[in-house]
Amino acid sequence: MIGLLGKFAVGGAFLASVFSLIYYGLISFDSTKKRAESLANTLFIAKTVLITIASGLLIYLIATHQFQYFYVYNYTSLDLNFKYLISAFYGGQEGSFLLWTLFSGLIGIGLIRWTSETYRAPVMFIITMTQFFILSMILGLKLGDFTIGASPFRTLVEALPDAPFLQANPDFVPVDGKGLNDLLKSPWMMIHPPILFIGFSMMTVPYAFAMAALWKEKYQEWIKPALPWVLGANLALLTAIFLGAYWAYVTLSFGGYWAWDPVENASFVPWLFGVAGIHTMLIQRKHASASRSSIAFALLSYVAIVYETFLTRSGILGDASVHSFVDLGLYAQLVVFMIVMTGLGLVLYIYRSKQMPQSDSPSHWLNKDTWVFWGSMALFIGGLIIITGTSSPILGKLFQKNPTPPQISFYNDWTLPVAIIIAIMSVCAQFLWWKKLDATSFANAISMPLIITSFVTLLGVVLGDVRQISYILLLYSGVFAIVGNATILFGIAKKKTIMVGGTLTHVGFGLLIVGILYSSAYNSFLLDDQTKAYNAAVRRGEVKDEMGTPIIKEVTMIELKKDIPKVVNNEYLVSFKGYRKSDVNRPGEQLYSIQVSDLDGNPITRLEPTVFPMLQSSTATQINWSVDPDVFSGLLYDVYLYVAGSSVVESENAKAAKLATAQGEHAHGPDSHHLPFTIGQAYIIGKYEIKFIGFKPISPETDAEYPKNATVAVRIQMEFRNVDTNEKTVLNPLFAIVDVNGNKNMFTPIFGIDGFPASIQMVNLVPMSDQIEVHITGIEGEASEDEWVLLIAEKKPFVSIVWLGTFIIMAGFSVSIIRRWKEDKNRMEFTA
Amino acid sequence: MKPKVIIGVILIVGFTSLLMYNFGNSISAYVDFKTAEQLGNRNVHVVGAWDKAQPAAFSIATKTFSFYMTDEHGNSKRVIYAKPKPNNFDDAERLVVIGQLKNDVFYADEMLMKCPSKYNDASGAEFEKAEH
Repeated sequence: MIGLLGKFAVGGAFLASVFSLIYYGLISFDSTKKRAESLANTLFIAKTVLITIASGLLIYLIATHQFQYFYVYNYTSLDLNFKYLISAFYGGQEGSFLLWTLFSGLIGIGLIRWTSETYRAPVMFIITMTQFFILSMILGLKLGDFTIGASPFRTLVEALPDAPFLQANPDFVPVDGKGLNDLLKSPWMMIHPPILFIGFSMMTVPYAFAMAALWKEKYQEWIKPALPWVLGANLALLTAIFLGAYWAYVTLSFGGYWAWDPVENASFVPWLFGVAGIHTMLIQRKHASASRSSIAFALLSYVAIVYETFLTRSGILGDASVHSFVDLGLYAQLVVFMIVMTGLGLVLYIYRSKQMPQSDSPSHWLNKDTWVFWGSMALFIGGLIIITGTSSPILGKLFQKNPTPPQISFYNDWTLPVAIIIAIMSVCAQFLWWKKLDATSFANAISMPLIITSFVTLLGVVLGDVRQISYILLLYSGVFAIVGNATILFGIAKKKTIMVGGTLTHVGFGLLIVGILYSSAYNSFLLDDQTKAYNAAVRRGEVKDEMGTPIIKEVTMIELKKDIPKVVNNEYLVSFKGYRKSDVNRPGEQLYSIQVSDLDGNPITRLEPTVFPMLQSSTATQINWSVDPDVFSGLLYDVYLYVAGSSVVESENAKAAKLATAQGEHAHGPDSHHLPFTIGQAYIIGKYEIKFIGFKPISPETDAEYPKNATVAVRIQMEFRNVDTNEKTVLNPLFAIVDVNGNKNMFTPIFGIDGFPASIQMVNLVPMSDQIEVHITGIEGEASEDEWVLLIAEKKPFVSIVWLGTFIIMAGFSVSIIRRWKEDKNRMEFTA
Repeated sequence: MKPKVIIGVILIVGFTSLLMYNFGNSISAYVDFKTAEQLGNRNVHVVGAWDKAQPAAFSIATKTFSFYMTDEHGNSKRVIYAKPKPNNFDDAERLVVIGQLKNDVFYADEMLMKCPSKYNDASGAEFEKAEH
C-alpha cells in the first residue's frame, strides 16, 4: 500500500519534471510567456514536494521494518538502531538517487527565487533536466521487457521473480532483513553520503548557469550568482571526501586515508575541476576573455560528476573498486544521462565558441591572470590524469583485452609533479594578485619566503630523512605554499579579514601536501628486532616455508603474547594486555587492549582495535571476521594498528569448525593436560585461563605442609580465571625435593580445593630458570597456548597536518562563500 | 599557424602520449597461471577458485596464508599470501589474486573475493577486497 503510494509519488514527480521541463524550455525560447513560467515553477515545486513525500515514505518503510519491500529487506534488519536505519535510506543505489534528487530539488526552489530574470528559465530548464534523469533511475516503470529505473519501493516478488521461496509463496514476508553492511555502521558513514549529494546537487548550479550563459549569449553576468554555488559545492565535496577518508582510515584496514579507489576519485575529480573553475571565474570578474575557460570548467565539473556516477553505478567498476555499487540494470540509462549532459554542453559550447569574448593581446608574464589561468590548467591536468586511471575498465581496452586497474604508482607518479607546480603557482599568483609587481619587486617580495622555505625544507629533509629528490621538491613546494601564502595572509588580514578566503585555502593546500608526503611516504611498520632479522633473511632469499618454497614477502606483523611487551623500531614498547568481549556495538565483538609505551615504560596510549563477526555473512559453523583499526592521533605522528589474527579468533574458528563436523554433538576434549609454563605465561582451556604467576618461597615456620627432610621446597601460584565471569581462583601446589634415606625424591602432591573442579600437580621444575611443568586435571577442552595476537602496527607521521590542511581549506572556502554571497546579494539589491 | 599554437599542440600530444604510454604499462590483464609464469616478475591478476581438495592454512612461523587455486583452465598452483586468511575467503566462489608467479608458486600481494549473492537477483558480482 505504502509502497504503491511511494511509486505514485516518484511517478508523479517524474511526470511533473517532464512537464516543467517542457515549459521551462518554451520560456527559454520565448521569454514573453509569463504564465507558462509560473506554471513551470509550480510544477517544479510540486515535483520537489512529491520527492520529499517519497523520501518520507521510504524512511517510514525502513523504520517500521516492512521486509516485503526489497530495499528494506536488502539493507536493513530488526537489530539496527535508529541512526543506522536513517543511513540505510541512502545505503543503497535507489535511495541515494532519491536523496540526490531531493537535494537538487530543494536547491532548484532556491534558484527560482534567487536567479535573475535573464537566466532563470534556462537555468531551471537544465536543473529540471538533471532531475528528470535522476528520477528516471528510480522510476521502476515496466515497458515491455525493459524496466526504466529501479524503484526503491519494489516488493520482494518484483525484485526477485525467480527466487524459489517467492514462487512457492508470493505473499512471503521475511521475518528479518539482510541488514546493513557492518562496515557502513559508522557515524562517519551516516553523514558522508548526504554531504556528498549536497555537493553533487550544488555542482549542478554552475553547469546550469554556464549553459544559460551560452544559450542567452550573456557570457559575463552569470559569474556572480554562480560563484557562491561552486564554492559551496566544493566545500561540500571536500567535506564529503574528508569524511570518507577519515572513515576509511579508522574503519577499514587498508592502512590509510586514501587509496586512489575509483569511488574516492569520483568525488575528487569534480572537486579539482570545480577549483579550476573558481579560479577562472575570479579572472573573469575583471576580464571577459576568461569566460571561455570559466564556462568550460563549469560544464566539466558537472560532466565529471555524471561520468563518475556512471563509472561507480553501472557495475563497470565491479572488479576494480571496493565499494562501487552493483549494476541494477541502469547501464543504458546512465549512458544516456551521460551522453546528453556531455553532448548538450559540448555542442552548445562549440556552437557559441566564435561569439564568446576572445582573449585580447598576449599578456605580460607577470600578469596575475596568466598565473591564475595556468594554475587552473594544472588543476585540470591533475583531474585528467585521475580520470584516465579511473577509466581503466574502458581506456584499458586499448592495451589489454581484459584490463585491470592501474597500479597505485601511476597515480602517485603523475600527480606528484602536478602538485609541485600547483603549489609553486599558488604562491606566485597570490603575490601578483594582491600587488602590482614588476620583475624586480616580485623577486624582492618572494625572496624572504624563499629563504624561510629553504631553511624549513632543509630541516624537514634532515629530520625526516627525506632522500628521494622528487620528495624533496614536493616538500619544498609544499612549505613554499605555506610560507608564501601565510606571508600574504597576514598582510590581508590586517586590512580586510573577509578577503582572506582564497589565501587561506592556499595555506591549507601547502599543509596538505606536506602532511600527505610525510604520512604516506614515511609510513613505517612497527616491527620488533626478531621480525626485522627475519625480514633481512627473507631479502637475502634464505627463508623457506615448511614445503621448501622460498618466502619472498616480508612480514609486516608483530606477534604479541599476553603481557609480554616487545620493543618495536627501537622506539616503543608494545604490549598485549588481554581482550574483552562486548555486545554493545556489534554482537560478538572482541576488543583487544594494546598498550603502547616509550622505552622507559611511560605509557603513550592504550588502543583498542576490535575484531567482530560480519553478521550478514556469518553462520554458526563459518564465521567471517572483520576488523576495526584503532588510531592514536598525536601532533607529530599517528600510531595505527589492527588485529590481523589472535588466539581468540583461532579458537572461535576451531569451535565453529568442530560444530560443522560434529553437527551439534557436544565436542569433548581431554580433561587432563600436561603443560610447560614460564612466569607470566597463560593457557586457555575450556572456559578457564590458567596463568603461572610466580613462585612463593616457603619455610617450615610459615607452611604447615612443609615436608620433613626437604632440601628444596617451594609453592607456585597458579591463577585460574573464569573467562566468562572473570572470577579468579589461585591454587598453590607444592614442589619439594625430599631426602629419603640418602635418595633425593621429588614430592609433588596433587593439589585442589573444595568446590573447585580442577586440580593441579607440579611435576617438574627446571633449575636456574623460571620454567615449570604442571599437570592439570578436571577441565575439559583443548589447551590453547597463552593468548596471543598478531598486530599490524604502523607509525604515520603528520597525519594531523593532513587533517589540519583540510580544515584550513574548508575554512577558506567558508569565508569565500560568505564574501561572494554578500557580493551577489548586493548586486541583486542594486539592480532591483 | 602561429608558433605558439604549434608548440601547444606538440606539448599536448607529447603529454597525452606519455600519459597513455605510462597508463598502458601500469595496467595489466586478468590472466591464467600459464601466462603469469611467462610474465615472470610482472604484477598480474589471476582469476580462479579455491582448490578445496588441497590444504589451506595460515602459518604462524612464516606469517603467510597459503592455499591452492585452480585457474580458469584448470591449472592448480599454490598461492602464498603474506597476510592472514582474508575475510569471506571461505564464502568466495571466485578469487582474484594479484601478484607474481615465481618458483612455481603464486606470491599474492592482494586478493579479491567474489562472493555469491544469496539469491539470484541483480546483485550478481560483489567483489570485496581482502581487508587484511
